[in-house]
Amino acid sequence: MKCYICAEQGKDTDAVAICIVCGMGLCMNHAIREEEELWEGGYPFPSKKVSKTLPRILCPACYEAIKKE
Amino acid sequence: MVSLLKRSAAEFIGTMLLVFFGAGAAAMTLMLVEGEETPNTFNIGIGLLGGLGDWLAIGLAFGITVMAVIYTFGRVSGAHINPAVSVALWAKGLFPSTDMVAYVVAQLFGALAGSLAFAFSVGPEAVLVGGLGATAPFTGITVWEALLAEIIGTFLLMLVIMGAAVDEKATPGFAGIAIGLTVAGIITTIGNISGASINPARSFGPMIADLVLGGPNVVGVYWIYIVGPIAGAMIAAFLYSWIVKED
Repeated sequence: MKCYICAEQGKDTDAVAICIVCGMGLCMNHAIREEEELWEGGYPFPSKKVSKTLPRILCPACYEAIKKE
Repeated sequence: MVSLLKRSAAEFIGTMLLVFFGAGAAAMTLMLVEGEETPNTFNIGIGLLGGLGDWLAIGLAFGITVMAVIYTFGRVSGAHINPAVSVALWAKGLFPSTDMVAYVVAQLFGALAGSLAFAFSVGPEAVLVGGLGATAPFTGITVWEALLAEIIGTFLLMLVIMGAAVDEKATPGFAGIAIGLTVAGIITTIGNISGASINPARSFGPMIADLVLGGPNVVGVYWIYIVGPIAGAMIAAFLYSWIVKED
């Protein structure tokens, strides 16, 4: 799979990731990695934030759209 | 996890709301029927407006507030808003001792704040006529009968908490609705027996506020609302674990 954004710019770059929202193939330069917090527990116990996070790969367009929500 | 101070604040606010709206609904019902003649001594006025529906309305005031607090503070403090629940979870080894003590103190003071807030919102009639919704065995009910009703009522409450929330196999998201409606159901049935406290803090707040503001003195029967709820909750917590444990 090739990077969609690079292809639009006339470049031929291998994709290393896929946007979890739109499925776009992304190269290292265009992939945005976010870390989602993980919580465990809940009623009737207080929730605890666990030390591990969940990686989330997004393309720049989806990243911007989600950030605006 | 947020600090113990913040979690205690959540317990304080939750219990304050519970007593303001729940016990407040009981006091308001008595104020609405003030001066009316009751058909028998078992009926102190709650029941004159709509029979058992009066208790359902009071139960729903409690239950809806419980549900609201669970969905608001459930992930923050656990939204126990009931010393019997905190003590039972502690006894099961599911809740630390220091947290349990802090929660119980916060719940007691929160309940007192709720009663005082209701009294100041309504005026002296809330104390003199409504008794701030304080709990005591009803006419013709012995302390032992009231104690048994409190044990059974809190047994059901804790059983639902164990099955709908503590159990890891419970369907997520439904505990607040299940527990809120359970509280309403319990109060509908045992309201006219023991006053349906099922919560030592819920009885503590109106009792102390009544003493301070010149309302009825129910200190002599308060032990029922400590022993009954804690015993019922602990029996339910241990029995549930035994029942669901695979052989």
